[in-house]
Amino acid sequence: MRLLFDIALAILVATTIGFSTAWLAVEHGRLFGAVNIGTWTAWPEAGGPNSDPYSVALLARSGEVPLGAGEGLAFIAVTDSDGEPLSGNCVYIVNGQTPAARLWTLTAYDAEGRLMVNPAHRSGFQSREILRHPDGSFSISVSPDVATGNWLPTARLENLQLVLRLYDTPLTTATDFVNIDMPRIDKVQCR
Amino acid sequence: MKRTILFLIGGLLLAGIIHIAVVFMVPYYADRDAWAQMRQFGPDDQFHILPLPQAGSEPLRSLDPWMLHAVCRFSLQDGAVRITAALPDDFWSIAIFDRRGRNMYSLNDRSAERTRLDLAVITPVQMAQLRQDPPPSLETAIVIELPIDEGFALLRVFVADETKFQAAIRAVESADCGGTL
Repeated sequence: MRLLFDIALAILVATTIGFSTAWLAVEHGRLFGAVNIGTWTAWPEAGGPNSDPYSVALLARSGEVPLGAGEGLAFIAVTDSDGEPLSGNCVYIVNGQTPAARLWTLTAYDAEGRLMVNPAHRSGFQSREILRHPDGSFSISVSPDVATGNWLPTARLENLQLVLRLYDTPLTTATDFVNIDMPRIDKVQCR
Repeated sequence: MKRTILFLIGGLLLAGIIHIAVVFMVPYYADRDAWAQMRQFGPDDQFHILPLPQAGSEPLRSLDPWMLHAVCRFSLQDGAVRITAALPDDFWSIAIFDRRGRNMYSLNDRSAERTRLDLAVITPVQMAQLRQDPPPSLETAIVIELPIDEGFALLRVFVADETKFQAAIRAVESADCGGTL
């Protein structure tokens, strides 16, 4: 009887811990190779030929088509520069410079990576159309309400993510990421 | 008590094995991966233009709305695949993905140094056979050796504004992936 109990316990431990940790790892994935600059995170290796098994599992479940090293690099932000989660009920200013790239786009998605419906029919900005300050830096208002200047409209959702894609950028290896400038994301107000 | 602890340790070891097995098996049971989703766009061995990503109707997840995308699923089982296209004089890129959605090779307009894309995807074995009797097209094409059986090519063409849209469509319509070397 003791033996049966022990075997049952071992199987219970194995299945619950095994499946739950695997689910957590695959669902929240991207465990390895993250590069953090301020609030922005990129995974230069994750979608490439040397992807780790967790990244491959994540790709298989999401159906995403990641940018390759020859195309560019995507940086994702899910929090503002103070570490608070990005919310569709708040107004943010994305302010600063981007690293060297021939072209970049900034796009707002919901928590699942889908574009958001908005009356302005705009879901992002690209580097050539943006209004800049005299020193070359830029400010983009990420807001559910109409704003002046570069306005990136959002929907009033709980969670947002911003993706900054640098196309044709020299950033590839880890050493390239030292001392690069990424824009700040500052919260202005919420309601 | 001691025996229970031993069984617990055994359970934890087994948990590790289950964890690894599940993570490795996920891609084989995923029916919504990029490869599977691309079937909805049309038959293999030709490029299909994806509708521009818009809120509520996105062909694939996390696409850049500033890019016009075209995809082609191909197989290398019957020989090399040649990808050609006449592309605009602005940013574009092409990437070759394997069956699991890993981006195996990519290049952009600058690194290609041309607007006429001519690319051949070939396995190392096929390449070794081809070297014995190289066809003339081997000279002009960018040859990419990849150890894959099947995969897909994804073309991204930057659309700066609406006036560039027609040119981008024409460029993507010129793309072909049904040829061989």
